[in-house]
Amino acid sequence: MLKRLLLLRGTEIIVLALLASIPLFISNSYALGLLTLLAIYGILLIGLDVTVGYLGQVNLAQAAFLGLGAYAAGISVTLLGFGIFESLAISMLVGLVLGGLLAFPALRLEGPQFALATLSFSALCTTVLNEWEGLTGGAQGLSLTRPGLFGYAFNAQGFYWLCLILFALVWMALRNLLSSQWGRAFEALRDSPIATDAMGVGTYRHKVAGFALGSALGGLAGGLYALNFQYLQPQGFTYDLMVILLLGVVLGGRKSLWGAFFGASLIVLLPNLLSNRLLFEIISALGLLLAVIAGIRGRLRKTTQTFQALAPVVAMSLLVVGGFLVENTENWRKAIFALMLFSVVVGLPDGIMGFAARYLTRLFHLEPPSLPPASALGDVLPKKPVNNSVLLELKELKRYFGGVKAVDGISMTVRTGHVHGLIGPNGSGKSTAVNVISGLYAPTSGEILLQGKALPKGSLFKVARAGVSRTFQNLQLFGELSALDNVMLAIKGAYRIPLPLVLLGLAKAEEKRAQADALALLELVRLKQHARTRAKDLTYGSQRFLEIARALARKPELLILDEPAAGLAHPDVNELVDIIKAIKQYGIAIILIEHHMHVVSELCDVVTVIDGGKVIAEGSPAEVKRDPKVIKAYLGVATEPDGPDTHPLPV
Amino acid sequence: MLKVENLHAGYGTSEVLLGATLHVKPGMVVALIGANGAGKTTTMRAISGMIKPTQGQVILNGIPVQGMTASRIAKLGLAHSPEGRKVFGPLSVEDNLLLGAYNHLPKFFGFRGKATADLEKVYELFPRLRERFRQAAGTLSGGEQQMLAIGRALMANPKVILLDEPSMGLAPVIVQEVFATIRRLKEAGITLLLVEQFAKSALEVADYAYVMDHGCIAVEGTPAELHQNEKVIAAYLG
Repeated sequence: MLKRLLLLRGTEIIVLALLASIPLFISNSYALGLLTLLAIYGILLIGLDVTVGYLGQVNLAQAAFLGLGAYAAGISVTLLGFGIFESLAISMLVGLVLGGLLAFPALRLEGPQFALATLSFSALCTTVLNEWEGLTGGAQGLSLTRPGLFGYAFNAQGFYWLCLILFALVWMALRNLLSSQWGRAFEALRDSPIATDAMGVGTYRHKVAGFALGSALGGLAGGLYALNFQYLQPQGFTYDLMVILLLGVVLGGRKSLWGAFFGASLIVLLPNLLSNRLLFEIISALGLLLAVIAGIRGRLRKTTQTFQALAPVVAMSLLVVGGFLVENTENWRKAIFALMLFSVVVGLPDGIMGFAARYLTRLFHLEPPSLPPASALGDVLPKKPVNNSVLLELKELKRYFGGVKAVDGISMTVRTGHVHGLIGPNGSGKSTAVNVISGLYAPTSGEILLQGKALPKGSLFKVARAGVSRTFQNLQLFGELSALDNVMLAIKGAYRIPLPLVLLGLAKAEEKRAQADALALLELVRLKQHARTRAKDLTYGSQRFLEIARALARKPELLILDEPAAGLAHPDVNELVDIIKAIKQYGIAIILIEHHMHVVSELCDVVTVIDGGKVIAEGSPAEVKRDPKVIKAYLGVATEPDGPDTHPLPV
Repeated sequence: MLKVENLHAGYGTSEVLLGATLHVKPGMVVALIGANGAGKTTTMRAISGMIKPTQGQVILNGIPVQGMTASRIAKLGLAHSPEGRKVFGPLSVEDNLLLGAYNHLPKFFGFRGKATADLEKVYELFPRLRERFRQAAGTLSGGEQQMLAIGRALMANPKVILLDEPSMGLAPVIVQEVFATIRRLKEAGITLLLVEQFAKSALEVADYAYVMDHGCIAVEGTPAELHQNEKVIAAYLG
């Protein structure tokens, strides 16, 4: 624990101290300019990494936000006469507001459409900066003089330190944010947006907030950029720069602050690298060597495909050979970037940092921080009163898909503390019914009442907030997150602390409490020893159980389990029955969709049978099993005596 | 027909399959049972080439096929009906079936004519599919999708069919239907390797069975022999 802290924080402090002390030894103004740019691009890339890395959206607007921030600062200084911090605040605000405004409509789109929306935004920004001559000076450019602070005029050195301090602050704030519930939400919504909504964590609002944050950092970087160069031109913020920024993030390593730092160093050094032929040859030869070694190693260990091993070697060879052939490497800038980007995307998909992190954790035997002891389960799931009152009421619920009447007038009542079975043939409308209840689909008509109040319609997120939690027939876990994080994300009311305090790193106590609560729930489903295992590495049975623990973390009034035993082997089915019995002890009502009749008989207080979107029978398990309609539509020949559920015949 | 010797496979750095050996003779139905995470599905995927085995041999009809791509193994006569059915939802039932025969049919013209006999064979086995041949596969019920997945595998005229969890998530009445289907396939002399959670029912149709545990074959024998084995009874048959 201490070792981890020392290594991680120690490296940060040492690197920062080194960066800060360089101007004391070197009085080369050119080198100082590069260092200033490094800090500025560092902030810019951390912002870009939030959208590209954490949200997983291809964002082509970061260069435009740099430009907007730069002009915002420039105009604040020249026209309004603002000081240094006011101008920077304005830059950031412009990024935040415009980022939010762009994100609202654009993030309703997915993948390529979102990329195109950001691309058009960039084009729009460049045009406006170019044409609004009264404000921006147009193609002539905008000159400004860097304002001082309290009568102290910043020289180049002082300004570098200011940039470095801001970079360090951004670094710390983002580290705190990303290791909090926010970071988990960003990871989760990339894996499964549906489950993120169903756990009461709004996918859309987190996406918009994340994008606005990234844009705000872009704006801040822009403000610093303006104050650094003291001269602005719209051509500085076009598509070319965007490609280089993406190269920086991908090469440095996505989803990593250090990755953004490496990416920024690369961007700053690239022009120099290109102007010095010897340096260029050395670097590309090193790249080639690295590609060859990594390729051979990967092939020997059979961890990489032939193409993946060969393509970077070919691309880097082209760089080396091309370096001798062409006269002026700077003219070939774009081709060189393209080749580098190609090799990295193919050969090092996780970037330098992703590659290095794997080896460093192994080298230093870094262990994840220890976990707090689990809370008492009774505190996590306070016992609800069970008084046989009506909890959920469906009135003539209908859902049609085109001409298909998937749910065709279901009325049903679920009482507090009951396990309410929902059975029926495949395609009878069970899953559609619970999808309507949980808000995945809006009903065509009909009413859903929870504790007498109408349940929100057609929004997973709002229904989850109202106290209904669910699992999914086709697992919807957050595969990249650990079992513990999967549960922590869903914990209701884990974070009441406002965002600014999270940024300052004051959410640690809440984090610990959420961990303890999540561990208690993992213990309930017998997964406590796998708390740190990535969800996608768990066995199929454990994944099913993890979904139950995650749904419970919402502390729901009503829990919907959609075929929890599907695909489970005999011993796991027995364990599942025990877990559901334990949950029932806490007074949580359950709707159980299941085909294993043995499970249904053992657990359910009431069973509703659905066929063709309509209720065909309701009653105790025993009553329902004797019903001739149910036997005909669902059970088939009912001849087997009661017995364990290793047999498809009804028991 | 299908010989698997000391097969190792896994995902990334985690080894799931630690040396499985199993033999499937022509015309036999062989069942593979075991707990979740024992490596049954991984075995199937390593045999059919969906993942590359790290060690061991897979011999199909005398040809070693380990390390080949899935499409080449399929051409050599192995059909895999995967867990969770995986039919092509937006395509019609008939198009799904035609895709199953993709390797044997002309690619542009006249494929429907060439496939008529095979389609007829599948429709005879599953009349329900004939009734719905124009319907999008995604709108079929679970049992019908399972029939379609099996039918699609049959279209390739395979020497061996791997059937992974055909009963998963199906209503009891449909599960009975699926097992009836497996019996019909058996009567038609088709060689089958079957992974199934309903161990009892699987043993009823199987000629021979393997029990997997932690990536290895723990027990093997005829269903009658397994019914004598106390450990197997306790863990899987109840």
